[in-house]
Amino acid sequence: MKGILFAILGGICITVQGVANSQIGAGIGTWQAATLTQFTGFVAAFILMLLFRDNSWKRFKDVKPLYLMGGTFAAIVIFSNVTAIHLIGITISISALLIAQLAIAFLTDRFGWFEVEKKKMRPGHFVGIGLMMLGVLILSM
Amino acid sequence: MIVGILFALVGGALVGLQNIFNSKVNEKAHSWATTMLVLALGFLASLILGIIFEGASLFHVTHMKTWYYFSGLIGVGVVTCVTQGVKRLSPTIAISIVLTAQLISALILDSLGSFGLAKVPFTWSKLIGVLVVIVGIVLFKVSDAHEEVSKSVKQSA
Repeated sequence: MKGILFAILGGICITVQGVANSQIGAGIGTWQAATLTQFTGFVAAFILMLLFRDNSWKRFKDVKPLYLMGGTFAAIVIFSNVTAIHLIGITISISALLIAQLAIAFLTDRFGWFEVEKKKMRPGHFVGIGLMMLGVLILSM
Repeated sequence: MIVGILFALVGGALVGLQNIFNSKVNEKAHSWATTMLVLALGFLASLILGIIFEGASLFHVTHMKTWYYFSGLIGVGVVTCVTQGVKRLSPTIAISIVLTAQLISALILDSLGSFGLAKVPFTWSKLIGVLVVIVGIVLFKVSDAHEEVSKSVKQSA
């Protein structure tokens, strides 16, 4: 039960984050919003890392440099998300974002990109993505 | 409409890539160190791109409100809740619930016009659209789980 509550709250937080970014972007500019929110988030995560005595940053050197760079995408993610929310509203933005996100996860699993173990495609994957696209189509009508 | 959807698709594709890369980091380092690194690099990239596109005007911020300073903390809430959810449930169920909650809260916020955003009026076709997307997500995720189950059966055989 607690797990379900955490998952629900996590989902709400992601949506609220997108909306808040979009609102801050309208107030002070999109790049300013991205820079500011990432900075305060970083400071908070840094403090929590120290509080929980997480010294595992020492192992960053064991990770391929490419994978360490994932965080940089956030700049473009926030810019795209804020722009999309302004243009088409929250619901369609998030639906389209989820489709692309799941499609990348699916392709990575399918073709074993980035040293991820290959998985087989199942009819349910195709029907699932098809339904998601149909849903976005209904939303955009 | 198309331009907005294209922006959302580019953003989503990058979120997908970022999830994969971050989980690679998370295989070696723990959650807080990983989160710290991800946000530090997100900050640096935003700062650099902001300077490239806006120059010095990036720092000439007017209309600042106090809550803007605290909005970054929502990101910490996201990491905590999603990590706890995945730990307590299976990844498939947890992520399906996360995505569903994301969409339903989006529909509610759109309909209420919260946070000063333009109100997008609620219609039944929107609710049907969201429900169809959710069924698609659950089906997609359940197909992933099916793969995992058949693999573990093979391993134990």
